[in-house]
Amino acid sequence: MKHVGTLLVLVLLFVLPVIVLLLTGLAPGWRFPDVWPDTFSLKGIDYLVRHHDQILSSLGSSFVFSVFTVLLTLFMCLFPAAVFARVEFKGKALLEGLLLTPALVPPMTFAMGLHFVFIKLSLTETMVGVVILLAMVSYPYMFRALVAGFQTMGEDYRICARNLGAGTLAIVLQVELPLLIPAVVAGGSVVFLVAFSEYFLVFLIGGGSVASFTGTLFPLLSSSNRSLAALLTLIFLFLPILLFLVMDTAVVRLYRKRGMI
Amino acid sequence: MSWTTNLFLRLSPLILPYLVLFCGGVFLTVCQSIGVLTPLPQDGGALDAYAGLLTDRSFFASFAFSLGVAAVSALFAVAIGTFLAYRVWQLPGRLATAALVYKIPLILPHIAVAFVVLVFWSQSGILASTAHSLGLIQSMNEFPNVLYSGWGIGMILAYTLKGTPFAMLLVLALLVRFDVRQIQTAAMLGASGLRIFSSIVLPRLAPAIHTGFIILFLYGFGAFDIPYLLSESRPGMLSIHVYNLYFKHDLARRPEAMAILTIMFGFALLFIIAYSKVVRRLENGVRKL
Repeated sequence: MKHVGTLLVLVLLFVLPVIVLLLTGLAPGWRFPDVWPDTFSLKGIDYLVRHHDQILSSLGSSFVFSVFTVLLTLFMCLFPAAVFARVEFKGKALLEGLLLTPALVPPMTFAMGLHFVFIKLSLTETMVGVVILLAMVSYPYMFRALVAGFQTMGEDYRICARNLGAGTLAIVLQVELPLLIPAVVAGGSVVFLVAFSEYFLVFLIGGGSVASFTGTLFPLLSSSNRSLAALLTLIFLFLPILLFLVMDTAVVRLYRKRGMI
Repeated sequence: MSWTTNLFLRLSPLILPYLVLFCGGVFLTVCQSIGVLTPLPQDGGALDAYAGLLTDRSFFASFAFSLGVAAVSALFAVAIGTFLAYRVWQLPGRLATAALVYKIPLILPHIAVAFVVLVFWSQSGILASTAHSLGLIQSMNEFPNVLYSGWGIGMILAYTLKGTPFAMLLVLALLVRFDVRQIQTAAMLGASGLRIFSSIVLPRLAPAIHTGFIILFLYGFGAFDIPYLLSESRPGMLSIHVYNLYFKHDLARRPEAMAILTIMFGFALLFIIAYSKVVRRLENGVRKL
C-alpha cells in the first residue's frame, strides 16, 4: 500500500501532462470550463497531414544536425577520454573540471561572442556552424560517459590484443569501440537530446536557414492553436523514445551476433 | 616525441576546440563588452558599459530576479527529485519498471515543458477548469493569475518540472550502488523511517544532490528557452534582457549586452568554485563511517 502514493505522485507529475497533451491534440475546441472535452475531432491531425512537408523537413533537419553533433562529440572525446581514464598526470583534476565548464556556464555567454566571428567566417545560417556550437555545449556529457566506459573496460583487452599482434587502429576499431558501445549510446543519447531540443542556439547560429523542429514548434506554442502545438510536442516525446528503443535493440543484436553476450 | 607532447597530442581533439571556441568565445564576449571588436567602432571609455549597468537599478532587479527563480526552482527540483528517487528505489521490480515514466520531462524540450505549464496553469487552463467544476471559482478571472504574478512562478514551475527527473536520475544512479543492509540494520536498531532517510541515506546521496543543484541552478540562471515563453515583462530574466539588447536595439548597445554576459559568466564561475569549496569544507567536518 505504501507504494500507491509514490506511483500516484509520479503519474500526476509526469503522465498526466502527456494525457492532457493528447486530449488537447484530439479536441481542438476544448475550452474553459470543461474538465473533459465535449467533442473530439481529427482537425489537428488533418492539419499535420496536410503540412507534412514542412514538418517532416524540419524534423529531418533537426535529426541530421543532432546526429552530426553526436558524431562530432564522439570524435572530440574518444581519445581524450581514454587518456583521462588511464593516464595520471599533473593538473588532471583541474583540467577535467575546466573541460566540463561549457555544460555548466550559460551557453549564451560564449555563443554570442562567437556569433560575430561565425558571421565573418560565413558559418552562420549553415548546418556546420550549428553542429559546431551544439557540440561545444554538449560534449561534456559524451566525455563523462566515455571516461566511465573506458574505466569499466579496463586495460586488459587492449594489452591482450597488443600481445596478439594487433596494431593501434585494429585495437581501437575491433576491440575497444565495440566494448564502448554502451557508453557511446549513453553519452550519445544525452547529446542527441540536448541538440534535438535546443531552441536558442539553433536560432542564433542557424538563423532562418537551418530548419529545426523546435523552431517550427515555438511560434505554435504561444499561438491560440494549442491543439496543433500539443500534437507536435507529442512527436517530440515519441520520436526520441522510438529512436532509443531501436538503438537498444540494434546494440543487443550486434552483441549477440559477435557472441559478446 | 616527448611524453608531454604525446599527451597533448592525444588530448588535442578536445583541448583545441575548447581553447578556440569556448575560451575564444568568452574572450570575444569580454572584448566586445569593453568596446573592442564590436561591429560599430565605440567611442568613450572601455568600461562605459559596466558603469552604465552598475548605476542601472533595473539591471540589479533582473539579476536578483534571475537568481531567485534559479535558486527556488533548483531547490524544489533537487528536494522533490531526491525524495521521489528514494521512494522509486524502494519499489518492487515490476512497479520500478512502471516508474520509468519519470523520464518523460527529461525527453521533452524545455519549450515543451513550458507549454505544459501554460496548458495547466493559465487562467483558462486545466486547473482553472477543475477548480470551476469543483465549485471553487465561478469565472476564470477568479483563478489566481499564476503565470503573470510578477514573481516568475510560471518559470519556477517549468524549471521544477524539467529539473525533478534530472535530479532523480542523478540520485538513482547513486542509489543502485547503495547497500540495503545499512538500512535494515538501522531499522532493526529501532531507527524511524525519517531518521533512516536523514541520517543514513541523505549523506550518501550528497554528491548527486550537490551536482544536481549546481547544474540546475546555473541552467535556470542563464537559459533562454523557458523565459522566452513564460517570462513576464518586469523584472525580466537576464537572458531575455541580453536577447533584447542584442537583437532589438541598435548596434551601439552591443557592449551593454556583452557586459551583462561577462558578468553572468563571472558569476557562474565564482558560484561553481565557491560551492565546491563550501561542500568540501562541510564534508571534512562530517565523521566518515
